[in-house]
Amino acid sequence: MTGCYLGIDVGSVSTNFALIDENGNLLKKLYLRTAGRPIEAITNGLKMIQESFEDDIKIMGVGTTGSGRKLAAVIVGADVIKNEITAHAVACITEYPDTRTILEIGGQDSKIIILRDGVVVDFAMNTVCAAGTGSFLDRQAQRLGIPIERFGDIALMSQNPTRIAGRCAVFAESDMIHKQQMGYKVEDILKGLCQALVRNYLANVAKGKEIKSPVVFQGGVAANTGIKRAFEEELGMEIIIPRYFDVMGALGAAILAKKFMAQNKRAKTKFAGFEAAFREHTAGSFECQGCPNLCEVVQIYVDGKLVARWGDRCGRWSADMAV
Amino acid sequence: MRIGIPRALLYYNYYPFWKIFFESLGHEVVLSSPTNKKILKDGLESTVDDACLPVKVFHGHVIDLINTVDAVFIPRIISVESGEFICPKFLGLPDMIRNSVAGLPRIIDCELSLYRNKTGFMEHAIRVGRLLGNSTQEALRAYLLASSKYNSYKKFRVKNGRLPIDEGDKSFFEVTAPDYSKYKDGSFKFNVLVLGHPYNIYDRYVSMNLIKKLQDFGAKIITPEIIPERNISAGAKKLNKKLFWTLGKNILGSAYYYMDNCKLDGIVHVASFGCGPDSLVGELLERKVSRDYSLPFLYLNLDEHAGEEGFNTRLEAFVDILERRRCGESNVSSHG
Ligand code: SF4
Ligand code: SF4
Repeated sequence: MTGCYLGIDVGSVSTNFALIDENGNLLKKLYLRTAGRPIEAITNGLKMIQESFEDDIKIMGVGTTGSGRKLAAVIVGADVIKNEITAHAVACITEYPDTRTILEIGGQDSKIIILRDGVVVDFAMNTVCAAGTGSFLDRQAQRLGIPIERFGDIALMSQNPTRIAGRCAVFAESDMIHKQQMGYKVEDILKGLCQALVRNYLANVAKGKEIKSPVVFQGGVAANTGIKRAFEEELGMEIIIPRYFDVMGALGAAILAKKFMAQNKRAKTKFAGFEAAFREHTAGSFECQGCPNLCEVVQIYVDGKLVARWGDRCGRWSADMAV
Repeated sequence: MRIGIPRALLYYNYYPFWKIFFESLGHEVVLSSPTNKKILKDGLESTVDDACLPVKVFHGHVIDLINTVDAVFIPRIISVESGEFICPKFLGLPDMIRNSVAGLPRIIDCELSLYRNKTGFMEHAIRVGRLLGNSTQEALRAYLLASSKYNSYKKFRVKNGRLPIDEGDKSFFEVTAPDYSKYKDGSFKFNVLVLGHPYNIYDRYVSMNLIKKLQDFGAKIITPEIIPERNISAGAKKLNKKLFWTLGKNILGSAYYYMDNCKLDGIVHVASFGCGPDSLVGELLERKVSRDYSLPFLYLNLDEHAGEEGFNTRLEAFVDILERRRCGESNVSSHG
């Protein structure tokens, strides 16, 4: 039986899993759609991991990250609960210790992380603007009737990219529709879109940051060769895409869990076991009437028992809960 | 008369003065509630879209007071220091409120400009007193009392590092106990300088409890409000150009003084969405901090749409950077 560490990254678009062994080798990765039902995504992922390994593995530690990191921690039982910036950086420098810049574009947000001498020194994150994210590209590919997997390769065929206004998702979309109606070639529009996204990213997310090579590009969108090329052209630098670019958050969380357990030798993992996937989890919420803040308080039940609460501004509901 | 003071904008600077002033003239002072969801919503709905967030929040506070007071105090402020200005939004504030809020009680609206006039504050206070029907004599007496108490309050604040943060419904001025008894000096892990408008950093709702969250991570919080004025001026002298805005001067002056003279682990700059002055100051600051001092710097933009989730993520990642610098590479904390 191999000792393993599990990392889970729960975002609004995807829920990712990474399982590593004692030596840090990746044994399994999963990229699942969250589709508005994070609990299902988390329990499904757990089941899939259990099915592929049966009793061959023993989970020695769990780390969670992403906007749903607390939820995942409640369901699975986590030793480390980490923000996604640190998690992404850790995964990246484990594979490329010299990295000085990480560009990350995922389904729901985008970030830039600046490292010097293997340590994060600065970062920025965009969670508001949709134009720079994977969901936006998905949507445009769908509108043009192109499978997202082929998006990048088609864009690479372009000789004469169309200029698309990329300042915001709404503009970009209407500009594209316009260009399409004017009869521009699909590959030129796609390439134009890649360039617009990259310009938008550099002007907003990366504003004021000093991008130095080695530059690593990760997150779901790194699969898109058109975007990679657009970055290379715009920055005039080589761009590295790590092997597990689409699950770097989860991988980082797993690595952090492994480190944490190594530091705390006597600690026992909080992992709730694969049975956790078969328990009944429900999330509910209510509006607290305690004061005019009217907080939306989230409650998580496991097998009918209340186990966690959050969302209250004053601590009135969450104070007596563990998470 | 029941005089309402909105718990917004310059409340965090001048409330102690006006409370004593009005009370010693025999009036009752009523504060609006601490910012909450309803106040924010009322503010957003009653203002034009291009107003900055703090001005919108101010509108919400005025609305909160409407049915409980006889008058609302909204001075027309041009300058609070000689030779300097504050943001032009303050100048038009009383008019803006009259235009966008219905059913207002009386507005006590009186101009304050100390640009060319050092004793202008006294004159301003006397005019306010006279607007309320008091004699010059009475107003002068109230002014003297209020300004002496205000000055000793400020001394107390600087000496004890007492940030002007409200507690529950209680105003910061009424909270006398030291605010973080649970953190003994020496138990802090980092010194963090938090810069921004007082109405952003001390408003617990708008700032998503930033200061408390940083304190819970073990940070000792330093802000311009607890730095002696002479140090801020000394810091501001290092600027290449004289800054004519009081607020920008306070922020940059504090930063420069602290970076050169004290042990600092990181700087957080809080700006509000739609604020021109903030983005300018922010850029100057970020360039300076990262170029000349290589200190960790976190820029937070407060926006009515921004979720608390992303805000916490940024904060936690920033604390991770501080943590790393403190203990070196190997340490992993389980939370954050
Ligand atoms: S949870 Fe607390 S802050 Fe939120 S509405 Fe209830 S009493 Fe108010
Ligand atoms: S300084 Fe900025 S935040 Fe303050 S009132 Fe002016 S525009 Fe608004």
